[in-house]
Amino acid sequence: MNVVFGPGSQRAVIWWHRLAVMTRKEMLQLFRDLPIVAFLVYSFTLAIYITGNGIRSQLHDAGLLVHDADHSFSSRELIHRFQAPFFRLNGEVLDSREGLRLLDRGIAVAFLEIPPRFHEQLVTGEPTAVQLLVDTTNSPNGLSAASYAARIVARFGQETAFNRIGSADESSQDLPLILSDHRVWYNPDQNEAWFEAISHLLREITIFALLLPAAALVREKERGTVEQLLVSPLTPFQIMISKVLAMTVVILCATAVGLFGVMQPVFGVPIRGSIWLFFSLTALFVVTTACMGLAAATLARNQGQVGMMTLLVAAPMLMLSGITAPMEAMPTWVRYLMALSPLRYYIEIAYGILLKGAGLNILWDSVLAMAALGTALFGFGLWRFRRQFA
Amino acid sequence: MNLRRIAAVASKEWRETVRDRMFFSLAFLLPILWMLVFGYGLVLDVENIPYAALDRDQSSLSRDYLYRFQQSRYFDFKGALTDEREVEPLLASSRIRAAIIVPEKFQERLKAGQTAGVQTLIDGTFPLRTDITKGYVIAINSAFNEERLTDYISRRIGISRAQAEYRARPIKLEVRYLYNEEVRSTWSMVPALVMFSLMLSCPLLTALGIVREKETGSIYNIYSSTVTKIEFLFGKLLPYVLISSMNAVVLWIMATQWFGVPFKGNLLFFLMASFVFVLSATGVGLLVSLLVRTQIAALIITIIIAMVPTILFSGLIVPVSSLSPSSQFQAHLFPGMYYTNIVRGTFLKGIGPEVLWTDVLALALYAAILRFVAYRLFTKRPRS
Repeated sequence: MNVVFGPGSQRAVIWWHRLAVMTRKEMLQLFRDLPIVAFLVYSFTLAIYITGNGIRSQLHDAGLLVHDADHSFSSRELIHRFQAPFFRLNGEVLDSREGLRLLDRGIAVAFLEIPPRFHEQLVTGEPTAVQLLVDTTNSPNGLSAASYAARIVARFGQETAFNRIGSADESSQDLPLILSDHRVWYNPDQNEAWFEAISHLLREITIFALLLPAAALVREKERGTVEQLLVSPLTPFQIMISKVLAMTVVILCATAVGLFGVMQPVFGVPIRGSIWLFFSLTALFVVTTACMGLAAATLARNQGQVGMMTLLVAAPMLMLSGITAPMEAMPTWVRYLMALSPLRYYIEIAYGILLKGAGLNILWDSVLAMAALGTALFGFGLWRFRRQFA
Repeated sequence: MNLRRIAAVASKEWRETVRDRMFFSLAFLLPILWMLVFGYGLVLDVENIPYAALDRDQSSLSRDYLYRFQQSRYFDFKGALTDEREVEPLLASSRIRAAIIVPEKFQERLKAGQTAGVQTLIDGTFPLRTDITKGYVIAINSAFNEERLTDYISRRIGISRAQAEYRARPIKLEVRYLYNEEVRSTWSMVPALVMFSLMLSCPLLTALGIVREKETGSIYNIYSSTVTKIEFLFGKLLPYVLISSMNAVVLWIMATQWFGVPFKGNLLFFLMASFVFVLSATGVGLLVSLLVRTQIAALIITIIIAMVPTILFSGLIVPVSSLSPSSQFQAHLFPGMYYTNIVRGTFLKGIGPEVLWTDVLALALYAAILRFVAYRLFTKRPRS
């Protein structure tokens, strides 16, 4: 061997061999813990299916109660326009007190009151008003219901107006109106399953990447087996990176199963960009997130502590990085705080590659930021780890 | 059941928890920190949508039209375009989420009493945001249209503008917001965050308890002692129930005093319901800790079954009624949903047991069933 490779490369071979052995040890340890394997499989298959299938964040089936004091052709016509999928008619009530009582009970989200003489006023050209009471205990949902209701009523009113000034409908060319033409890109049918399935995949990747290496490292500390590793010829770098590598391989495989086993065949999620780029950047994300977990692990003494610490970090990451709610409306400090969350960049990358077909020429800034973050976190973890043990 | 033995187990558990200073302080800090971060940070409104505009007409009317988007707090103007080909890279890199294209002869056609088409291109990756953006565009367009129509009617029929306005918009929709009259995001989020914080921290606190003993082997002391199964489970849970109940009170104080969310309901009922919820949430952790052998598994499983359904299926963000039937079923399997009804109901609606008794009952059943299953699963004579 000396003749062929020289002493330097022989050392490199041994170095890599040691790393491979450690990585294999981590994987064996993980796969012998059956409950974890079971949950890993569940999270990347069934859970993605359930979420993609079930979550509908747009207004959907909002319960509507009606009090129709007019019982005329116009009032029935208006009520009829509050239709699925946005609204679901929950029945008519006889007075507004009954309606309020049912809103209290959470039976419906909105309560529409049509005044007496509604039809008459419309015909004679008097101004009229209908009232909508909206439950805003869940404020975005309430606002959304109110906005749809406003659209429906405005349209109904406009049609009545057109009828009166003598044109058949608004599509005729003889009125000074803006016709708005909306084109939705990247997901033209607004298939929510695409968004939800991808977002769930990102959630699961984040949780596993954050927790698995962190808990594995603390376990070694807690049981004292880390001392054995430190007296072995392994360097602290190898001890730490082998945990990251093992979990990265496992998570990438799980991601492939989720993507090719559930998201593509069941929901038809498109892969418009390069699949290799997607997996390479997913690997980068997993490594970065794992380093974050490891940094927390060097601060904790036992698994209880590391569990609390990772949860402390994981919840804001998942809630504020942009999959649960859009970033643009959030306060500035949240946007600064989330510059520290690798998920924030990975969201851009994952949706960019899968749905928008974006390549490195567009995503380079997110990639760079994530890589810088990962390096800093790994450096911090390594520094803490060395100071504690070596 | 021997009360002294329960007390002994509980005090052992309590000391163990208190002596781990970091764990103990995190147990209290976690809910408080989350409440602060999410109470201020988690804004669900869709505002400041970045957009660009392409004005092919460059007339006073087209500028007036586009100015409305600039004025709106829902939109954030990122710049004027000169060519349609600029739109694609901007949307792909998420620098803008929407683009508005005003066609040539926009003013000419409208002045002549003809329709003019305006094109809006919207990023569809986030369906909820897309839908709301579309709603805002429609609202701005119809306000603009009503003005055009009013002008047109008053000129054509020869009536005053005020009268023409009624003709252009014969029906007014008066919206009244109930329970959260100013539609503050904080008011609706903060009560639900009480649920969120408890639902995540309770099971985790508890889950590690029994597995820790299993993993370190100290559970053999219990196996060989006179402590019975039920006494052990009771004593073991007691400190965690206590910590979580204290957290519930602290969270209530934060919500009402710090965030100024009105509490319209009955405090005694709220506290009792919260206690029942704490019992069921700690039950989740207890069950997990009996099913696994290692703490790492307990951690992962608790976080996955506590966090993911709580974000998705508890009504925190997406109301349960708009989920698909199978997901609604799943939502009913987790305690979070019932408690969301209770917190939002008692804080904002001011309703009490007369409406919410079903939710409390469901939580109580949940707690009882989990404890029964835990009791059956736990054995002092492990096979391996």
